[in-house]
Amino acid sequence: MELLWVFASLTVVGLIMYSIQVFSVKQHLNNSSEQNPVQLSDFKPPLSILKPLKGIDDNLFDNLESFCRLDYPCYEIIFALQDYNDPAHKIALMVKNKHPESDITIIVEHCNQGLNPKINNLVPAYRASKYDLVLISDSNVMVGTDYLNSIVSRIASPEVGLVTNLIRGIGGRSIGAIFENLHLNTFIMGSVCFLDRYLHIPCVIGKSMLMRKSDLEAVGGMNAFKDILAEDFIIGREMKRYGKKVVVSEYMIQNINEYWSLRRFLNRHTRWGKLRWKIGGYQYLSELLCNPVFMSVLTIIAASGERLSALLFALSVSLIKITGDYYVNMLTHRHQSQRFYPKAVCYSVVSSFRQHLFVPAKDILIGLIWFVPFISAKIDWRGNKYIIGEDSRLYSHENYSGVISRLLKRLHNFRPWQIRHNINTPISNFNSSSKI
Amino acid sequence: MLLCDFHIHTKYSDGSLELRKVVDIFGQSGFDVIAITDHVVNGDNSMGRFAHRFKFSVTAHNFDEYLQALRQEAQRAMDKYGMLVIPGIEISKNHLTADKSAHMLIIDIKEFIPACMSIESILIEAKNQGAITVACHPHYLSEALNKNTLYLWNNRDRYSRYIDAWEIGNRDDLFNVISLKKYAFLANSDFHRASHIYSWKTLLRCEKDIQSIKRCIRDNRGVAITLFRN
Repeated sequence: MELLWVFASLTVVGLIMYSIQVFSVKQHLNNSSEQNPVQLSDFKPPLSILKPLKGIDDNLFDNLESFCRLDYPCYEIIFALQDYNDPAHKIALMVKNKHPESDITIIVEHCNQGLNPKINNLVPAYRASKYDLVLISDSNVMVGTDYLNSIVSRIASPEVGLVTNLIRGIGGRSIGAIFENLHLNTFIMGSVCFLDRYLHIPCVIGKSMLMRKSDLEAVGGMNAFKDILAEDFIIGREMKRYGKKVVVSEYMIQNINEYWSLRRFLNRHTRWGKLRWKIGGYQYLSELLCNPVFMSVLTIIAASGERLSALLFALSVSLIKITGDYYVNMLTHRHQSQRFYPKAVCYSVVSSFRQHLFVPAKDILIGLIWFVPFISAKIDWRGNKYIIGEDSRLYSHENYSGVISRLLKRLHNFRPWQIRHNINTPISNFNSSSKI
Repeated sequence: MLLCDFHIHTKYSDGSLELRKVVDIFGQSGFDVIAITDHVVNGDNSMGRFAHRFKFSVTAHNFDEYLQALRQEAQRAMDKYGMLVIPGIEISKNHLTADKSAHMLIIDIKEFIPACMSIESILIEAKNQGAITVACHPHYLSEALNKNTLYLWNNRDRYSRYIDAWEIGNRDDLFNVISLKKYAFLANSDFHRASHIYSWKTLLRCEKDIQSIKRCIRDNRGVAITLFRN
C-alpha cells in the first residue's frame, strides 16, 4: 500500500516536472518570437558548412538540397564521406550536379583518427574548410532559406562561442519513426529548453553547431573529441568552461524521420541513455521522474486491492500527457510555419492527433530503456561496437577488458586438467606451460 | 552503371505506399531507373475475385488513370532526381497450388492486358506493345508467407522464347537455377514497403533512355546485380 502512494506521489512530481518542461518550451518560443533575428544584424561573414554523410537517411536528397537554397551571401558546403561505396556518395554527387551555382566540395577520405565515426568523417572536411566560421550540420536535417541568416546573427557577439538549434522531428510513417518524433518533440526539446533556461547548462545538439575555428581550437580542436560519443554536449561544456556563451537559437530545424524501425528507435535511445548516465551521473536518475506515464504504470503494479482506482489514475495521467505533448506540437508548428518555413518546405508539419495516441506506449518503452545503462555499457553505433566510459569516452569493444569481461575470460580459460598436467611436468617447464 | 529496380508496387495494388511516396523513396536514394509494376490479377477464381474486391489489382477500369499518374510522376522524377520511371504491371495468375501460379512483369506497357488471358497470349500481346517481359520470382522463395509461383519455370521450355529476362534475385532471394540455364536475368526488390528498398537490384551499363535500357535487358550484356544495403 505504501508503495502505491510512493509511486502515485512520484507520478505527481513527474507531472509537475513535465509541466515545467512544457512551460520552458513555451517561454523559449515566446522570447524568440519577440525578436526578429533575421533582421537583427548585418553580420554576414562567409562560412563553411560541414556535412558528414554515412548511408541514406530518410529524405536525404531534399535535406542536402535545402542547404543549396540558403539565402546567405557567401558559404561553402563540404560533403564528407569515408568511402566511395557509401550510397550517400551518389546523392551528394546528384545534389552537386543539380546546383552548379553552389560552392560544393565532396571529400571522400578514410580517416581513422578516433573511435567516433562522425568526428572521423569531419576531420578531413574541417581541414579543407576555407572559412573561420564553421557549421557542423548532420545529414538528416532540413532547413528553410533563412536558416543561416538567423543563426549567424546569434554568433555576432564575440562572447558567443557556439550556436545550436532545437530539433523538431516530422514525417513519421512507421511506428519507430512516430516514437522518435514524439520523443524529440517533447522530452528532448523540453529538456534542452529547461536546462538552457533554468539551469544554464549548455545542451548542444550535434545536428547543428555553429562555431569559430579559433574557439574550437582553443578547446582542443576536433582531435580532443575524437573518442567521445557525445562530442556535441562535451564541445558545448568545454566552450562554457573556456568562457564562451552557448546559445540555443530560436530557429527550429526539421529532422525528417519517416521509416524508422522500432529496433532503431530502441537502439538510439538506449545509446543516448547510456551516454547521459555516463555524463550526468546521478542527475540521470531525475529522468525517470520526468516520465509520469511510466510512474503511473508502476502505480498500477503496486496497487494490490485498488487496481481500478490506479488504472483510472494512470489513464488520466496518459490523457494529460497526450494533451500536453499535442499542445507542444501545436506550439512548435505555429512557431515554425509563421516565422521560418515557406509552405513548400514545411510539409506534413501538423502531426495528427492520432500519432499522439502513441505517447503512453512510447513513454512506457522509454521508462524501460532507462534501466539499461545500469546493466550494460556496450553500444552499437552505425555497425560499430564500443564500450562507453566516463564523459561518454569510447573504447573499442574488442580491446576492452572490464571487470566482468576479465572475470569471464578467466573462467573461460580455467582448465583444471591443464594445471594437473603442469604439476606433473618438470619444474623447469612449469612457468612456460602454465601460460598456455 | 545505372542502378535499377524493375519490380515495385504501390497502393494501386497491394503496396503500402502511395505512388508519389514510392517515387520519392527511390529518388532520394539515388536510383537511376525504376519500373512501377502494380499487380493485374486474374479475376477468374476466388483468389482473384478477392484481390479485385479489396482493390489489390489494377483493372481495365482504372488502368488509364494508373498510366496517367505514372506519366506525371515520371516527369516529376526526371525533373527532380534525374530518375527514369517506366510504367509497368505485374500479371499475377494466382492459383491454389504453386505449380499453377505464375507472375510476369510487363515493363513499358502501353495498353491494358487482362490477366485472365492465356500466358502465351499475354506474352505475345506484351511483345506486340514493345514491352519487356520478365518472369518474376520463378523459383522457391525463402519467406514462409510468400506463395511460390513455379509455373513458368516448370514450363520454361515452352515459354522461355517469349520471356526477355528471368528474375535471378528477388528481395533477399537468389535463384541459381537461372544462372545454370544461362537465361537473361534481372534482380529486383518486389517492393511493397519502405524497408524492401534494401534488397537485390540490377545494374545496367547503358544510356538512361527507355530504348537503350530495353535493349540492354534483352541482349543481357552489361547487366550486373548488386545487393543494395545502407
